Amino acid sequence: MTTETELIEQLKRGEEAAFKSIVDQWKDLVYNISLGIVQNETEAEDITQDVFIKVFENISSFKGESKFSTWLYRIVTTTSLDHLRSKKRKKRFGFLFSLSGDESYEGNQIPDFNHPGVKLDDKERAKVLFKAISNLPESQKAAFTLHKLEGLSYREISEVMNTTVSAVESLMSRANGNLRKQLEEFYKTM
Amino acid sequence: MINKEHIQQEIDKTLQCLDGIKRAEANPFLYTRIKARMQKDSGWEKVISFITRPAVVFTTLVILIAINGLTFFNTADENSVTENESFTTTDFDEEYNLVSTINYDYENNPGE
Repeated sequence: MTTETELIEQLKRGEEAAFKSIVDQWKDLVYNISLGIVQNETEAEDITQDVFIKVFENISSFKGESKFSTWLYRIVTTTSLDHLRSKKRKKRFGFLFSLSGDESYEGNQIPDFNHPGVKLDDKERAKVLFKAISNLPESQKAAFTLHKLEGLSYREISEVMNTTVSAVESLMSRANGNLRKQLEEFYKTM
Repeated sequence: MINKEHIQQEIDKTLQCLDGIKRAEANPFLYTRIKARMQKDSGWEKVISFITRPAVVFTTLVILIAINGLTFFNTADENSVTENESFTTTDFDEEYNLVSTINYDYENNPGE
């Protein structure tokens, strides 16, 4: 059975079998994080493909100083957040087009998101929570998603986000505070 | 008060609803799609997709305008300097007949 180190060395040599093995082994991790951040299945699938293409093209820059999974989490988190930023920019331009009568502009409506891994009893609550998560600032969103959807510890998150554990603690504290505020508004109006 | 407590309970339950969440599963044909995309995105497609990026287009335009601007101002400066330099003191002297052609021997004719 090929170890992770051997697989990475084979991938660096451009061996397709190694690449397929890495995709098969890590695809759910990548898709899960991407889905949690962008909250859209089609977009998450595109981002997952982007991430693995980036892995293939940039594997020579992976020096093995951190775990491969840490590197992968970092790529998928960055790529997903970049996608959200790009989408926001397009929405701004879309608003301008809408002024000229373009019907295709969807405005700021964020559709309800149903994560497939949520228990049936919690589906409705999860919809509300994911909507609130989508309104978090980028760093808080990333930290919260890595912690809740992948179960990463604060130390692991600090390695992914290239920051300190105390910075992650602060991000999580602020994320929870923000979410509580939004949820309070939501439940008050129910 | 009861309402406030109730709201806090709802908030707590909602924040905990992702506990035990299962990982979403990627498309089983993901590798096939990646391979197809890598074969499609090769060579010229990559070049074209890079040079048509708005940031690249904008930066190129700014650089071209800057080069044009510099060239224009440098050319304008050279022309005005050339015009000035073309009116040399020699031309000035000739125009006003200031060039003296008399060679007087002061040493041998001090008093005259």
